[in-house]
Amino acid sequence: MGVRVSAEHLLEPLVSHLPAGWKPESSRTVERLYSVIRGSVSPRPSVRPFSFLYADAQQLARTLHTEDLYDALEADIDFYLAQAARQRLFVHAGVVAWKGQAIVIPGRSRSGKTTLVKAFLQAGASYYSDEYAVFDGRGRVYPFPRPLSIRGDNQTSRLRPETFGSQTGTEPLPVALIALTRYKAGAQWKPKVLSPGRGTLGLLANTLAARKQPARALAMLGRVAHDAPVLASTRGEASETVAFILQVIGS
Amino acid sequence: MRTTPDKSVFVPKRKDTIVRQLCDELLVYDKATNKAHCLNESAAEVWNLCDGKRTVAEIVPLLKKKAKAPTDEQLLWMALLRLEKAGLLQNNLPLSGPVCTLSRREASRRVGATAAALAVPVIASILVPKAEAAVSCSTLGGVCNPRPCCAGMLLTCVAHRCV
Repeated sequence: MGVRVSAEHLLEPLVSHLPAGWKPESSRTVERLYSVIRGSVSPRPSVRPFSFLYADAQQLARTLHTEDLYDALEADIDFYLAQAARQRLFVHAGVVAWKGQAIVIPGRSRSGKTTLVKAFLQAGASYYSDEYAVFDGRGRVYPFPRPLSIRGDNQTSRLRPETFGSQTGTEPLPVALIALTRYKAGAQWKPKVLSPGRGTLGLLANTLAARKQPARALAMLGRVAHDAPVLASTRGEASETVAFILQVIGS
Repeated sequence: MRTTPDKSVFVPKRKDTIVRQLCDELLVYDKATNKAHCLNESAAEVWNLCDGKRTVAEIVPLLKKKAKAPTDEQLLWMALLRLEKAGLLQNNLPLSGPVCTLSRREASRRVGATAAALAVPVIASILVPKAEAAVSCSTLGGVCNPRPCCAGMLLTCVAHRCV
């Protein structure tokens, strides 16, 4: 993908919003072209200096504050990448690392993934992702370390893992365990071990490219669910689930 | 009451499907409906043995030979019924005969509780979500209920769409 800007100084802050592991490319042909256009002050006071973000010809955002465009750019790049990637498979999941292995927590929006990731970080785990588990063909999971999106009553705040005293992982890791779970007030974490086939379905239900590339998704996720145990249960408080999982992995 | 002849022939849906063996289980992705199914060993055996040529009467002894737990014609009908419910059969089962008297409890009683776990055909199915449904927030034009619109995209939820 390509990004072009209307003024050179817009480039520097933009770079931190690109996905981890991005590399500059000399090719002039791209699959998706983003345009960041800074608003200019008009001599007419009634014209407001809006800045714009486009993806190809589609307007994604319009704002008076140019810095807001970067978050919009990041959100769209992540989503595009997650469904268009050819070598890797993106599953909507939180990922942390513990003793050189990954714990993957797939789940829908508002299922409590971020709360669980945060609890793992507070227990000493390393951070990999709050949004996507990125798998390769060997079943390893790669870091996708965007700041954690923690929802409050009215707004979402984005916190870096260092806030919780945690480090961010850099290397691909084998998966130690997959936890299919969602928060339910008052529930107890009583996990069942799913068969590899059932586990694959659980992962597939959270895979962005599952409809576009079902054969590849089945092959890659089947391998992941075959190599690592898949636990499923509703959960109550995150600390109880975290303690259980860390004990299982430790043993 | 009309009984179903043993010469019934059933054809699993092979067109528009992706099939992948995973240990004893079979994963079937139906591209027409975007549903994914996980067939346990018993259901997978029936799926594999039904080829549109073998009759029910011919499949039963083959099934008995291959199965790890006691099995009989009724379990075959149960598997067929579940394949049909999952949309994985090309032709419909008759609404009379053995399929009308099938129950999991009865099957468990006949083959024994421990063996039932192995013998009873089970099919788990999911509707594979669109990409937009498998993310934490919706982008432009996406559905914003129950997911919010992505914070950075300066979108507003209007009539359940991020605009």
